[in-house]
Amino acid sequence: MTFTFRKSLLSATISLTTLLAAQGVWAQEAVFVMAGNEVGAPTYNPIKATMLNTASGLLFDRLVSQAADLSYHPWLAESWEEAPDGMSWTFHLKEGVTFHNGEPFNAEAVKAWIELFKTTPSDNTYMAEAIASVEVVDDHTVKFVMSRPEPNLLYNLSSTFMSVVEAKSFTALGDDYGVTEVYGTGPFKLESFTIGQETVLVRNDDYVWASPLAKNHGPAKMERVTFREIPEDSTAFLELKTGGVDMLMSVPPDLTAEIVKEPNLTVVTLPGADVWYMPINVTKAPFDDIRVREAAAKAINQEEILASVFGGVGTTADTFLISALPESKVPESSKIKYDPARANALLDEAGWTMGPDGVRTKDGQPLKVSLWTQSDSIFRRLTEVVQAQLKAVGIEAEITTFDSSTIRDQYKTGEQQLAVRSYNWDNADIVDWFFGGDRLGYPNVSMFNDPKAEELRAAAMTGAKNMEERIANFTAYHDYVLTQFPMAPIYQPVQAMAYNHDRLSVPEKIDAPSFGSALFMDIEVKE
Amino acid sequence: MLSYLIRRILMLIPVFLAVSVVIFSILHFIPGDPIDNLLKPGSPPDARAQMEARYGLDKPLPVQYGIWLSKVVQGDLGTAIVARRPVTDLIATALPHSLWLGGLALLFSSVVGIVLGVVAALNKDGWPDKMIMGGVLVGSTMPSFWLGLLLILAFSVWLGWFPVSGARGWNSLVLPVLTIGLGGTALVARITRVSMIEAAGRDFVALLHAKGLSPLRIQLRHVLRQALIPVITILALRIGWILGGAVTVEVVFARPGLGTLLIKSLGQHDYPVVQACLLMLAMAVMLGTLLGDILQAAMDPRVRAALE
Repeated sequence: MTFTFRKSLLSATISLTTLLAAQGVWAQEAVFVMAGNEVGAPTYNPIKATMLNTASGLLFDRLVSQAADLSYHPWLAESWEEAPDGMSWTFHLKEGVTFHNGEPFNAEAVKAWIELFKTTPSDNTYMAEAIASVEVVDDHTVKFVMSRPEPNLLYNLSSTFMSVVEAKSFTALGDDYGVTEVYGTGPFKLESFTIGQETVLVRNDDYVWASPLAKNHGPAKMERVTFREIPEDSTAFLELKTGGVDMLMSVPPDLTAEIVKEPNLTVVTLPGADVWYMPINVTKAPFDDIRVREAAAKAINQEEILASVFGGVGTTADTFLISALPESKVPESSKIKYDPARANALLDEAGWTMGPDGVRTKDGQPLKVSLWTQSDSIFRRLTEVVQAQLKAVGIEAEITTFDSSTIRDQYKTGEQQLAVRSYNWDNADIVDWFFGGDRLGYPNVSMFNDPKAEELRAAAMTGAKNMEERIANFTAYHDYVLTQFPMAPIYQPVQAMAYNHDRLSVPEKIDAPSFGSALFMDIEVKE
Repeated sequence: MLSYLIRRILMLIPVFLAVSVVIFSILHFIPGDPIDNLLKPGSPPDARAQMEARYGLDKPLPVQYGIWLSKVVQGDLGTAIVARRPVTDLIATALPHSLWLGGLALLFSSVVGIVLGVVAALNKDGWPDKMIMGGVLVGSTMPSFWLGLLLILAFSVWLGWFPVSGARGWNSLVLPVLTIGLGGTALVARITRVSMIEAAGRDFVALLHAKGLSPLRIQLRHVLRQALIPVITILALRIGWILGGAVTVEVVFARPGLGTLLIKSLGQHDYPVVQACLLMLAMAVMLGTLLGDILQAAMDPRVRAALE
């Protein structure tokens, strides 16, 4: 009897131990929730994917990294030179780097990867389109020979889509690459991936080549990380609150207030890549008169909106670009800021006289315009404030709300006058995207098609030989667009994440444009 | 009976064709298209035309429909435009999750619903009847999205019994099954009750009473057997609806199923995926209806006789 009892106790202990081992009891293990807009990313194939998530940034490294101020820094490339005529780039590669499958990372590997990138059918091919060929100079030096100058090359090389993949396994695995197996040089390796559910990564113990933007150059402190996909924000918040997960990679503004109330949770923010703005349709009266456009733009009180709609979180916008971009540094006089005196004076000058009901009129016609917005609650709140601010200078705006997926098709009709919208992009070519004369309706909601702007646009998009010229050309293009008032800048939000500080220790300062590899190198689980 | 079966199955073909036309056209008439989600600032000006050609979106709609349908009948659901993976793969990953959730929810609502319906019928107009029917009314009118969040608050946040969300292990299934199952329970309980009461009033029951059988035995062995015929038909019909009803519940509980896939792909206008998901849901309803009819024919001698 005793013997059987002991035996069963022993076997129970053994099976418990095996179970725990199978479950993988790691001291340095944490669970993260991916940002809502990354839910459902179907593959970790950077060459083919149309969307990639945070975990992708941990499986792969890139040649170039970007700091919080969007400046470029070494990563797998230790340094680089751009030919004065822009027709070639030489990259000096870090030595001693290997892919997860043991293949060496060297000049041949970069050449093979770029060739794959250029020949694999994909919507991302344009990023490497200007690279004509790759020459292996020596084992750790490559030369990109260009078909035309591409001053935006470093931006493309720092994008997740240009994560360096190992070419042999990519070719061998075909459609399974990025789904069942994936081989990069990143600080973590893929353990398992269940689309729409979770991705489990384990530490790459050989990793000692992190970008200089992280304090820890490798290996990572965490041994195993799980990324869960939770589409519903309130569910994700309840998971964080109950300890089911340790960090949410993205927190919407309306949940931030709830999170800071919890004693064990901390919110961390980084400058975002969003700009909220009011496009003005330059072809629709009364906004075909530049004075009325300027008046409407200068009626927008950005400070008041920041305080009343966004609770003081984020910053005001006074150009079309996020303020981290060098091309946002336009002359002070071109910045669009609240100036009610100027707005009123311009409207008087344009012949719109203030009526007794607070609405201006001209030739018996009231200054009534349409103001389009989308149905999300934050947009509706902001649009109501914009409506009140326009009313203060005598413009009566009538709000029309569209579903966020149908509003693009509405813009394509060109019937809009004013609208409230936002974009998310961290490169100056967004000015071309939203104000290019060949994209009227959508994305060019402002219907802006100006000959001088088109000239400056061509110079900015294709006329520059190197980065400095590109910055100068885009600044000039951006500056000119601002002076034509096809929109009013409003607000720049922050990106926020939240974590359980009883479980994780997270660096206070993160020198990166987003919560990615540089952050994960420095996260530690408290034991 | 066999000819009836064959006729019913053949009738599914025109229904299937009609459903496929509706699914395809509704989707393509919704404003917006997948290319809007694929185009990135910085991509060349002719990128849109290139992508439309690559994904076959430049062809006239009837041609696109023809190509799609001819592939579907061969079992090829195409490749997702935004997700860039074979749709069959995406569905194969998602479907088992939805089937487990839907199947368990159906089982829950059948067992609990029938028991509650019987108890209510046996105590017609008594307090158990009133309590059960009152509860059923609340259960059937509560939106599942909201009920799901309430259950998370009660059982995960306050009591800590079950995980908030996810699809790891049996205990993550409990709350979503309850959320979907409670709505179905209400329906099953109501129908069981009504049909028990109706069956109890029939002549054969009076005869059984006259023969001196115990009332409880009459109710459970004879009346219930009669009363279950409409209940089983309704349950078969619900097979399809349960998969559809799981859509929002899957999103609330972050479960990777057909619903989560559908919602995500709808937002991206990923036509092949949305079409495949809707087709799956429609097929489930069609097959459920067929099953309901067949079961009814098999169980009810009158229907069977009429067919022969």
